[in-house]
Amino acid sequence: MNISGRLSLAKYLAVAVMMTIFFVAVGVHASPPAAESSELKIVLVSSEAAKADAGKKSVLDEDYVEDDEYYDDEAAQKAKISDPIEPFNRVMYHFNDKLYFWVLKPAAQGYKFVVPEVGRVSVRNFFSNLRTPTRFVSCLLQADFNGAATEAGRFAINTIWGIGGLLDPSSGQELNLKKQDTDLGQTLGFYGVGHGFYIVWPIFGPSSPRDSADIVGDYFLYPVSYLDPFYVPWCVRAYEEVNSTSLRIGDYESLKDAAIDPYIAIRDAYAQYRANKVKQRKMKFESFWGGQTKKGNVEKQD
Amino acid sequence: MQKKWTGFFSVLMLFIFIVPVYAAAPLAVVETNVNKVLDVLRDPKLKAPAAKDAKTQRLRVIYKGMFNEVEFSRRTLGRNWNQFTPAQRAEFIELFEQVLEKAYLDKILSYTNEKIEYTREILHSDKQAEVQTKVVTSSQEIPIFYRLIFADGSWRVYDVVVENVSLVQNYRTQFNDILAKNNPEHLLQILRKRVKEQ
Repeated sequence: MNISGRLSLAKYLAVAVMMTIFFVAVGVHASPPAAESSELKIVLVSSEAAKADAGKKSVLDEDYVEDDEYYDDEAAQKAKISDPIEPFNRVMYHFNDKLYFWVLKPAAQGYKFVVPEVGRVSVRNFFSNLRTPTRFVSCLLQADFNGAATEAGRFAINTIWGIGGLLDPSSGQELNLKKQDTDLGQTLGFYGVGHGFYIVWPIFGPSSPRDSADIVGDYFLYPVSYLDPFYVPWCVRAYEEVNSTSLRIGDYESLKDAAIDPYIAIRDAYAQYRANKVKQRKMKFESFWGGQTKKGNVEKQD
Repeated sequence: MQKKWTGFFSVLMLFIFIVPVYAAAPLAVVETNVNKVLDVLRDPKLKAPAAKDAKTQRLRVIYKGMFNEVEFSRRTLGRNWNQFTPAQRAEFIELFEQVLEKAYLDKILSYTNEKIEYTREILHSDKQAEVQTKVVTSSQEIPIFYRLIFADGSWRVYDVVVENVSLVQNYRTQFNDILAKNNPEHLLQILRKRVKEQ
């Protein structure tokens, strides 16, 4: 009795000490900025405008210096894309722009008016399920066996319990098998193949020699391509495009409206988006296979 | 009995010290400001279309406190910032802010019921941080990351990364293209025209 009482007291003490160490550690870790800012925040609220003005005058004279602190500048360099055939691309950009506003958007709006959102999301899930081979093969090529298994599992579950892929039960909290957002272009990027240069294809939009390989590879891995007669695959693809556009009407418009030069804004958005996707795939690989891993960047790659 | 309470209160005391430390973290800065924005957007008194100006006014106060507009502009111009005189810099900051406000205001005003998840906070150094959030709508999830810098005693946002695309970098590429062939005055001219015509 006495011994057990002592034991539990020791346990409590140990827990108390551990908790104290933990909280102190957390406190120390977060305190350097916090110590000053908790007071200053009050100042900020009371005389926000005055402070901003006072800050501006001195800050305006400071030059822009590139140093290690600007960690995102490095990423910015990597996400650049050269554009030697800009005149051609600009023409194609205008063609696609008109195609969107004159054909795709009206079609998507009409379709949106008729079909409720739940239906359109289901249709998107269905097509996404059909694209499993592309993602599965890409994962395998990137030695991401975990991802490949996830894709295979998703396909089985969503096809059987998701009514042929209309629903996506795998992504739910219980199973938590998230779609592996990867493709063949990313696979090439994963092995260090650069973009090459910027190409705007009519209809397909922003691309590069590397991602054009993706368009071709995807053609062969997408089951819809093998439908007969020859025009059916194109009709299906057109429908798929109208459906997915109906779920994001306004995105392109706001990107375009916010830009000073929309052509360059879209080119840069494309380059950044692809570069970050490739980076995420590389991080997933590193964290899975060890090496110089940055742990913690893994779970957000979906 | 008394001892038990002592233990309880000593733990409570610990928490008292923890809370203010946590309150100033980058994640909390983003969360409080985003919540303030959502409060304005959901305010039933401001629902009427006529109240748009009042809404805008209140949003402006919030984003002025949330963003470090000087840092935002400086990074957007990058190396070109050094070609601008302090007067030109001041004007650029002013114009750029108006361009952004016009471009994104309607988009922000159209958001109402979307759920926002705060996924994680990364401290890159004691001066730089990234707060990752997710906007969950009925049909999709949009990752939105806020990059913050610690300056003048507070964490404030200097870049917003929407679906892997950094706003600062996107504008930097556009401005670089203009400034490669033209002088700063020309860029200011473009922005002035842009603000006027909107």
